Amino acid sequence: MRILYMIFLGGGFSLMVANGFFGREFFGQRRRADLPPSVRQTPGAYRTFLHNNGFHGGK
Amino acid sequence: MSALASCPSCGAALSFRPGTMVAVCPYCHALAARRDRDPELIGKVAALMDTGSPLALGATGTYTGRAFTLAGRVQLRHPLGGVWDEWYLALDDGRWGWLAEAQGRFYLTFTQAPHGTLPAAGSLEAGGLADLGPDGLWTVGEVSEATFHSAEGEIPWAVDPGATYRFADLSGQHGAFATLDYSEDQPLFFLGREMSLAELGLRGGAKKPGKVGVQNLNCPKCGGPLALRAPDETLRVGCPSCGSLLSAEGGKLAFLKSLKQPRQDVVIPLGAEGSLEGVPVTCIGQLRRSCTVDGTVYPWNEYLLLDGQHGFRWLVQSEGHWSVAVAVAPGDVPQARDGQRSLFALGATWRRFQDVAATVEGVWGEFYWQVEQGEQVQVTEFVAPPRSLTRERQAHKGGGGEVNWSLSTYLRPEQVQAAFKLQPLPEPTGVASFQPNPHKATLASSWLWLVGALGLLLILVMAESVTHRNVELFHRKLDLYELAPNLRQVEAEAIRRGIPVRRPSPTPGPAPAAEAQEPVFFSDPIEIREGRQNLAVTLSAPVNNSWVGVEGALVSETTGVAELFLLESSFYHGVDGGESWSEGDHTQTVFLSAVPAGTYVLRLAPQWDGPLPPVRVIDVQLRQGVMRWLYPGLALLAILVVPLILVFRLAAFESRRWQESMYGPSAGTGGGDSGGDD
Repeated sequence: MRILYMIFLGGGFSLMVANGFFGREFFGQRRRADLPPSVRQTPGAYRTFLHNNGFHGGK
Repeated sequence: MSALASCPSCGAALSFRPGTMVAVCPYCHALAARRDRDPELIGKVAALMDTGSPLALGATGTYTGRAFTLAGRVQLRHPLGGVWDEWYLALDDGRWGWLAEAQGRFYLTFTQAPHGTLPAAGSLEAGGLADLGPDGLWTVGEVSEATFHSAEGEIPWAVDPGATYRFADLSGQHGAFATLDYSEDQPLFFLGREMSLAELGLRGGAKKPGKVGVQNLNCPKCGGPLALRAPDETLRVGCPSCGSLLSAEGGKLAFLKSLKQPRQDVVIPLGAEGSLEGVPVTCIGQLRRSCTVDGTVYPWNEYLLLDGQHGFRWLVQSEGHWSVAVAVAPGDVPQARDGQRSLFALGATWRRFQDVAATVEGVWGEFYWQVEQGEQVQVTEFVAPPRSLTRERQAHKGGGGEVNWSLSTYLRPEQVQAAFKLQPLPEPTGVASFQPNPHKATLASSWLWLVGALGLLLILVMAESVTHRNVELFHRKLDLYELAPNLRQVEAEAIRRGIPVRRPSPTPGPAPAAEAQEPVFFSDPIEIREGRQNLAVTLSAPVNNSWVGVEGALVSETTGVAELFLLESSFYHGVDGGESWSEGDHTQTVFLSAVPAGTYVLRLAPQWDGPLPPVRVIDVQLRQGVMRWLYPGLALLAILVVPLILVFRLAAFESRRWQESMYGPSAGTGGGDSGGDD
């Protein structure tokens, strides 16, 4: 039980420290992507790029 | 100064101290009563029984600074069999003390003039209270009769050979002890307390406490060998070979009757020696007792242990659970009324667990009272794990009775196994009434962790609240019609076709186009200086039974790494079956992980259903260093989850314990001294 407790404490505090002091987020609808320069230099290409990478909103 | 006289029977020299009423001739055992001139022969006494007492005539000692001598002894016979010794201390100030000895315990009392009226013998009941007015409220330990058996030395009272004396033993707190002697018209009051021999500083005549000796005899019924380890105190023997019940009074075995014994489950054999709680003990007897509750028989075994000081204790085994029980003075336990749920005694609060009638089913080995098969006592058990306080009330044949309290301490099977060097004992089944809750210790040990973790959590939250300043990096109200200028054209087309449109503010605009453009917004460069704090993007829109979303990207101008996110403002409401309802929210926030310091551009692509947006303006905000209560909440949950599991398991254990009780939460108001079936 003590080991289990330490695992829980370690997990809980790790999440909190990672968020509070390193700005890491673990929940929510977000994704990180590398945009090629061709996309960045062509505003209209964003939508196509994002759609092609499976990232699009809407109901 | 003792007066010398001659024995009226044999002429031997007799000594009469001041206060001596009767002297016993050591040669002819004549009882010589003190008279004005010569002693008067009033009878002869039987030979003294060897009770194994560590005391002897002539021993000296001190009590409250006064020297004394053990001047005489009377042996009295108890109605349940056996005799006990009453020693008489002649103090150097002329007073006499009564030192009663029973089962290795000593009670020193002095005669007192009562300050109030003493209660009549008939008004006293074992286990009840005796109100002596100014002399206090006492617990009646026993009301019984004593019969004179024998004597030696000098006796400070007028002994009547063969006479019977009615008495009541009273017990008070902290070892206080009193006796009411009803042998005379006016009851006599003796007051004192339980004492150890060490307190009396006995020297000289005192014998060393006897080592547990063994007297080898044979069963008069079957001839089987019987080893008596407490021959001085044994009154009954259950022959393990043939099951006969034998009388052992007077040092001789006599057949009484054959018993129909149940199967003997022997865990600790008779004669087994061990060390329990640091005290050397020998197992001299085994009882099997049982009680019946709601038609179910619950048996248990009790092993009688003799220690080196001729004291007794019990080792009790029930469904694999073990406990050791020692006697407690009735006066140390307050009066327990019928149905009383709890009591405070011996520094603890005890909860009533059950009232049952316990019946003796099997008898093996030797016992210090006249045990009988079928003998019944009314047992009331109070528990404060890992201990229990048990009251046993027993009525004497021919009137009177006694109450005995015992204090039991739970033992783990490994402790018993180690004490008697036994093979591994079976694991207990179920939960015993006073079994310590194993989860309590685990929970207690986790308290330190819990407090430490809560403290750490508090420190972290305070540190976060200082460092997280909720800095606004971007805030913009986006006019969707400005973002997609052809929306007005689409709107005009819809009006022309008679399609109702919903427009928040019908501001005139440029000429509509045939198809709506997809609105996209790119912010000016945003400087992010802090690379270790999270980001929050918030969308707010006054939608009404509609939704508007934003497909967003925070793009680093340096690396091209983009944080992609989706936001949606969605709010629906209505009335269904007379009940109003709503769902969704006008505002939504998405949190992004920290990004390296640098320059970023925010791309926002609003979305909605249909050709026209449900709102004209949406509000988008980007902040950094936003306090997130989700993570302290998760940490708090992690801190509490194990203690909560332990609390649950602790409660489940207690629930199992009290399910067996007559006084558990699920039990009715029933339960009382007659609560158990028999």
